[in-house]
Amino acid sequence: MGLTVVGVNHRTAPIELRERFYVPAADVPAAMERLLLAPDVEECAVLSTCNRTECYVVAAEVGHGERAATVTLAERAGLTPEAAAGHLYVRRNREAALHLFRVAAGLDSMVVGEPQIQGQVEQAYRASRDARPDGVGLVLHRLFQSALAAGGRVRAETAIGEGAASVPAAAVQLVLKVFGTLEGRRAMVIGAGEMGEETLRSLLDRGIDEAVVASRTLARAEEAVARLAHPAVRAVPYLAVADVLRSVDVVLTSTSAPHPIVTADALRASRGTEGRSMVIVDIALPRDVEAGVGDLPGIFLYNIDDLQRVVHATVQAREAEGRAAEVLLGEELDGFWGWLLAREAVPLIRGLREEAERIRRETMEVALEGITDLSPEERERILGASRLVVQRILHAPTVGLRKLAGGAAGAEQLEVARRLFEMNGRGRPARADEEEGTGMGRGEDDGE
Amino acid sequence: MILALHLVALLGYLGAWGVLLRAFRSGGGTLETPGWQIAVAAVLVHAAGLVAFVARFGTLPLVGMGPASSTLALAIAVLGLGAAVRRERRPAMLFVLPVVLGLLGLAALVGLRPVHLDSAFRGPWFVFHVSVVFVGCAGLVLGSAAGAMYVLQFRALKRKSFGSVFRFFPSLDVLERLNRLGLLVGFPGLTLGLLAGWSWTLTYGRGLALRDPQVLFGVVTWLTYLAAIVARFSPRWRGERAALVSAGAFVVSALVFVVLRVLIVGPESVFL
Repeated sequence: MGLTVVGVNHRTAPIELRERFYVPAADVPAAMERLLLAPDVEECAVLSTCNRTECYVVAAEVGHGERAATVTLAERAGLTPEAAAGHLYVRRNREAALHLFRVAAGLDSMVVGEPQIQGQVEQAYRASRDARPDGVGLVLHRLFQSALAAGGRVRAETAIGEGAASVPAAAVQLVLKVFGTLEGRRAMVIGAGEMGEETLRSLLDRGIDEAVVASRTLARAEEAVARLAHPAVRAVPYLAVADVLRSVDVVLTSTSAPHPIVTADALRASRGTEGRSMVIVDIALPRDVEAGVGDLPGIFLYNIDDLQRVVHATVQAREAEGRAAEVLLGEELDGFWGWLLAREAVPLIRGLREEAERIRRETMEVALEGITDLSPEERERILGASRLVVQRILHAPTVGLRKLAGGAAGAEQLEVARRLFEMNGRGRPARADEEEGTGMGRGEDDGE
Repeated sequence: MILALHLVALLGYLGAWGVLLRAFRSGGGTLETPGWQIAVAAVLVHAAGLVAFVARFGTLPLVGMGPASSTLALAIAVLGLGAAVRRERRPAMLFVLPVVLGLLGLAALVGLRPVHLDSAFRGPWFVFHVSVVFVGCAGLVLGSAAGAMYVLQFRALKRKSFGSVFRFFPSLDVLERLNRLGLLVGFPGLTLGLLAGWSWTLTYGRGLALRDPQVLFGVVTWLTYLAAIVARFSPRWRGERAALVSAGAFVVSALVFVVLRVLIVGPESVFL
């Protein structure tokens, strides 16, 4: 059994190409259908976000899974498999599992530690399972659940998701470092720029009580309010800015004015000697707020460069946390991989038990043949004792085989055990294949 | 046994502080919770050490430099950890634990033996006086720690320095509330304790003169924290200046204590 992931992401392909590989939720059933049609493919799942499209495949042979996923993705992008291969990455077995663990933890994201990917991985798993319930089997179920648990653990035990990794988030972080909470606070946005709106949206998401938008014309401010579509936001005429400044706690400016619209003198006159805290975030170029405003008591003034520095510091801190996260993922991966390898021992253990039972039954039949003076109870006691003997003899090898399979050289050691017990890979005695003249066993492995 | 438990507690506090320091240096993360948990364990061991003291000597550890320092350290640790039950306040332990460590180290160094075992130092009035003073001191230490952190965070935000202080320290609002909480617990406690001490002194016919180091220390500490209270609740002084006065009050009190302790008071004094 082999686990393979083939995919394309923000590192291997530009957005124009990623768009072609993208698999929307509606197309997941078709993609899964295509993968499951390929020879030897037992399970598959598709993960597709704006930054990555990946096919996870469980197949009898790793190569078969890789081929099926490459062809499916190439067809999706309208490329030949050879042309697509230049943009695709392939991870096999343990590396494939580690890849999904890293993706779920946000370590493979464009912005390390971003939280959305955890939900996207969960959605991808559900979408794949809903599209083809028979296509997502025990291995991929366990892989995705383990990856999600590992991602959750990384977020809980490291600071990988802390801090602000975008300009709006940096603005919110600065405001929160002053006010602690946005409950009971008021904000004003001057200018109807996209970034100002985005930042205000983040403040609203964090629970700011009230916000007003002022723009050069009331109509533009009202358009911005309509776009924000939030009951706590209203538009005010530009002339009201000076009045509103007296009562707000947070000011966001993003106008295209060629000169400062908020000056130290005007603000001093507006606030008097009041030392109440106010955070002003100026994301306009050229700047809307005079630099001297930051020297006024109670005023915390930040411009776009400051926000970028907050983002940069966060990214650096997250990258440093990434090392601790990798250690945690390694621990989680060992758990999953041990389970997967131990699962490989199941057919052998089952075959061994069946063979032992067959021998016991045949031997007891011969032994008891002709003994006629045994009562049914006595006969049952003797047979019960023989079953117990077999169970006790097989207990240690069963436990040992599971341990061997889950160990570092599990595959090799399982092969030695198969030879020792004269079993094939499907858990049947090797002589049975020879008698039937076929290399195939009786049935498929049906799990633990 | 008593000393062993104190040393284990000392190591626990040191470990907790180390973990918090590491969290601070990495600019945050989730280490403040393990740091807090280690400190809680250290508090339990510390309390066990003081229970062992009571069991052995049959008196409360309130008199004599060693026992009193240990009890005061426990009061500060308990109040600090209690305030840090809320995760956002846990970084404050970074400033509270060194005070606990200093007092506990001092206790271990000078020895944990009771002094002045006469009845005047055993009565409920005296126990009340010392206990309330210790609770007051613990509150003031917490308030000062929050004040110092406020000053650092305020300057980081004003100077746009987005390093460890910015990332690890709580918001100005949280620090201001913690500062206020510490002062509101500490100042009334200290006032009540000093009044109780005054009453106890008069009852047992002891002198109450400013040249008495204990009286001097009490009056200086009370006055410095009165200034901190006035600054904190005055509209013109709030914010950074009020926090600065709170932090400064601790520095002044600590300096006065060290000077009086080292230069004036003998080893058998009841003064802490």
